[in-house]
Amino acid sequence: MIRHIKPLAFYMGLVLVLLFFLLPILWMIGTAFTPSGEYISNSLSLLPEHPTMEHFRALWKDGFPERLANTIVVAVGATFLALVFGFLASYALVRFDFPRYLDHSFLLLVLMIKMMPPIVVAIPLFQLLKGIGMLDSSLGLILVYQVYTLPFCIWMLLSFVREVPLSLEEAACLDGTNLPKRLLYIVLPLCAPGLAATFIFTLIMAWNEFLFALLYLSTPSHFTLPLYVSNFITENETYWGQLMGIGLLSSLPMLFMAGYVQRYLLRGFTMQMK
Amino acid sequence: MLKHSSLTLALTASMALGAAAVQAADLVIAGRDGIYGKALEESVARYQAAHPDMDIELLKLPYGSLYEKLVISMRENAGAYDLVMIDDTWATEFMSNGWLANLEEQSGITGDFITAALDISRYPVGQGPAYSLPVVGNVAMFTYNKSLFKEFGLTRPDNWEAVKTAAKTISAKNNGTTGVVFRGQKGNPIVTGFLPLFWAHGGVIVDDGGKAHVNSDQGVQALESFLELKQYAPRGVEVYNSTEVRDAIQQRKAAMAIEVWPSWVPSMDDPDQSKVVREMEVIAAPGQVKGSSPMLGIWQMGVATDAKHDKAAREFLEFLTSAENQKQLAIDLGLPPTRRSVYTDADVVAKYRWYPNQLDALEHGKPRPRIERWNEVESILGDYLQLAMIGELDARTALDQANRKIDRALKR
Amino acid sequence: MLFRSRLQLISLMLPATLLLAVLTLYPISQILINAFSYVDYAGAERQFVGLDNFAELIDDWFFIGAVENTLVFSVMASFVQVGLGLLLAVLFDREFPVKRFALPIVIYPMMLSTLVCSAIWRAWYHYDFGFLNNALVSLGLSPVEWLFDPSLALFSVMLVDVWQWTPMSFLIILAGLQSVPADIKDAALTDGASGWRRFRYITLPLVMPQILLALLLRSIDTFKLFDKVYALTGGGPGNSTSTLSLFIYKQGFKFFNLGLASAGALMMLLIACLLSAVYAWRYVGAKS
Repeated sequence: MIRHIKPLAFYMGLVLVLLFFLLPILWMIGTAFTPSGEYISNSLSLLPEHPTMEHFRALWKDGFPERLANTIVVAVGATFLALVFGFLASYALVRFDFPRYLDHSFLLLVLMIKMMPPIVVAIPLFQLLKGIGMLDSSLGLILVYQVYTLPFCIWMLLSFVREVPLSLEEAACLDGTNLPKRLLYIVLPLCAPGLAATFIFTLIMAWNEFLFALLYLSTPSHFTLPLYVSNFITENETYWGQLMGIGLLSSLPMLFMAGYVQRYLLRGFTMQMK
Repeated sequence: MLKHSSLTLALTASMALGAAAVQAADLVIAGRDGIYGKALEESVARYQAAHPDMDIELLKLPYGSLYEKLVISMRENAGAYDLVMIDDTWATEFMSNGWLANLEEQSGITGDFITAALDISRYPVGQGPAYSLPVVGNVAMFTYNKSLFKEFGLTRPDNWEAVKTAAKTISAKNNGTTGVVFRGQKGNPIVTGFLPLFWAHGGVIVDDGGKAHVNSDQGVQALESFLELKQYAPRGVEVYNSTEVRDAIQQRKAAMAIEVWPSWVPSMDDPDQSKVVREMEVIAAPGQVKGSSPMLGIWQMGVATDAKHDKAAREFLEFLTSAENQKQLAIDLGLPPTRRSVYTDADVVAKYRWYPNQLDALEHGKPRPRIERWNEVESILGDYLQLAMIGELDARTALDQANRKIDRALKR
Repeated sequence: MLFRSRLQLISLMLPATLLLAVLTLYPISQILINAFSYVDYAGAERQFVGLDNFAELIDDWFFIGAVENTLVFSVMASFVQVGLGLLLAVLFDREFPVKRFALPIVIYPMMLSTLVCSAIWRAWYHYDFGFLNNALVSLGLSPVEWLFDPSLALFSVMLVDVWQWTPMSFLIILAGLQSVPADIKDAALTDGASGWRRFRYITLPLVMPQILLALLLRSIDTFKLFDKVYALTGGGPGNSTSTLSLFIYKQGFKFFNLGLASAGALMMLLIACLLSAVYAWRYVGAKS
């Protein structure tokens, strides 16, 4: 775009911005490999003098794999549930010629739920989960995460579904294709980029959720990674190495996934506004 | 892509269901992190060596989170934990609500627990049956650096005026060592850090009639002294907690600490971690208008009324508080015992020279007020103490406002 | 006829609607009742007290402070993030050699768990050993009390949020920039319009919808700010970083004053409604 900016100024600006985002990350990676004795120092070096794998070994022994498994179950489960329900709902919203004000008020409602701070519903939800016996379980967490994920999915997917031409479906309809088949073989594939973008954002949201996990999980072996992280910040001592080790390990899957669907990430928001 | 997603979906759903149905543990323990957590971990490991079939889950949490998690679970009767660790200030709330099981119903309490410590495991205090057992014999002590004091020609501080003078003298020298350090973080830390001064000046939180009375003249004087001491404390003391206090002492950044708990300082004489080996003297807190009354801070453990594994919890508790286990924990980690015999054990005393003082302080220790809403009262007081500390309110206004709010909380 | 009946469509909406209803209507009804009640500690009994809870809140200096902090944080953090995001997006809208690697670096922070972010920055803010103060000291400047200067603490928390979530605004705005057709960009170039004018009069209006979307999403999230404060400062020093979410958390989960917590929650919900109505009006209105 702004082709006339002097290249030098451009690159300097770029480097500064990149440093702001990069340095803390480098520090995280460095610390994950720093032996316990080396943390406290006045040096500006971001990388350890004597790199070590001790923290990763400790994490592995301490039950990191189980927590990772819990997180995968909860985050992927919550994301799929929200995608399926959200897809169906947004399809119905688009195809159903609701009166316009109803359409708007549903959107408003979704937006309001998104605005509603989770802390506001936390106590009643505790009682609800307890009532159906799902406290302290992955399934219960998947369920309550819908407070965050479902409105987001509906909201993101609406515009993608709107892009699916009615004529395609009508043609299929004449051939006698029923609704479930049309959804599965026509609408879904056409929405795939939108689903991919929505998937990754929802996944990030669920993957890092802390508040509900903190309140509704009580047994250590059921913990998700964000809760597990807090284990390493104790009153007497912060275990920086292990803490940053988890930070690194638990963000890598997200990063790869996001890199993989990079172009969809951008498309997700372009469509959003149409 | 499609087929994949539905397959993954089915897979996830079944995994989720599977995870929900995972076999539960045989005993779930909730306790503190830090040294207390290490002690529990070590004890669990020892216990499991003797009972290899048992699956024990141990949750270790910071102070505030532990309280919240326990109260939610107990209050909603969720039965999440079998054996729980509580601060003695929470005891009234837990016991009066019937959240802890009577430990004397099935087997009596045996052994030589320090009376003052066991008394607050009873409900009503000192008379009723025990609903918990004292696990950590913490009592607030005062510590000062003997060699620094000698250098400056100072003597052991017996009252808070002397503490102020000493702090001023040492800070004035400005050689990297400040006069005094304490916990200034809002909430429990600042309140506990302030109480030794407050009590010594004759302040009370709740009067005999159960009404809030923190803003008495004595209370205000105590707070003014506290604020004066802040001038001689390291920068940022308003966010200090136990770690920072310990580091300040061990790195010789401060010459005195208003409040140290025995479980914080086992490393004081360890040359690998400390620059003040054998320099610190640990004594009972100074007096002022009143004599010294050491503050008890006992960590107790009790069996939850809604425990799913009541028997296992009782058996483990018995093992945990046994004299042998306490001795082991004291020697390995410096966890302060709660049995008299362990304090007089030759091996233990050889390692921790201040244990005789500590036993004496414990036996004459005074608990914090036994009120049900202590946690809220403490938090309110902590909020206002900190406002005074960062200079937003003067001592009188801070305590007046705190008093009004505490009163309202007590009436709820 | 595409659908056998309206029923078919309604049944498609049913799962989402039911789930949202259960997850939000029940809790909100509980809040509505509790906000006007004194709720006994054990949670069993309730007593109607009218507006007492609200009166107590308005009288509470800590609550008012939390409202102020929340609004200041939400407005400032979202504007800074969108501004910085716009700048980044403009930088990234042109081709440069390391772009393929630069993009993942810039969006990495938002993949991290908030607790990890907070921990990184807590270490960086450390007065004696933190990276920032080490850097300042090595430049011959005096160290800064990042987290315990009451007038600075909220901004330090904000910087962490800016670090973590600017990437979100960046992605949204970049998406907008890239969807601006090339011929419009070229046309502007051949006109010989200067860089700034081109940006101001052509590019900016075209990506305005994305800018608004980014503002909307970020102000929603910053309004709910909880975990960063929880992990970095606990609301202190004093009350300088306390937020509404933190206040409600404390009343609800620390003191179990369900009445007060619900009243606070209701007020927060009202503010949220007000804000979302303004947005919906602009956003939906702009579309129709």
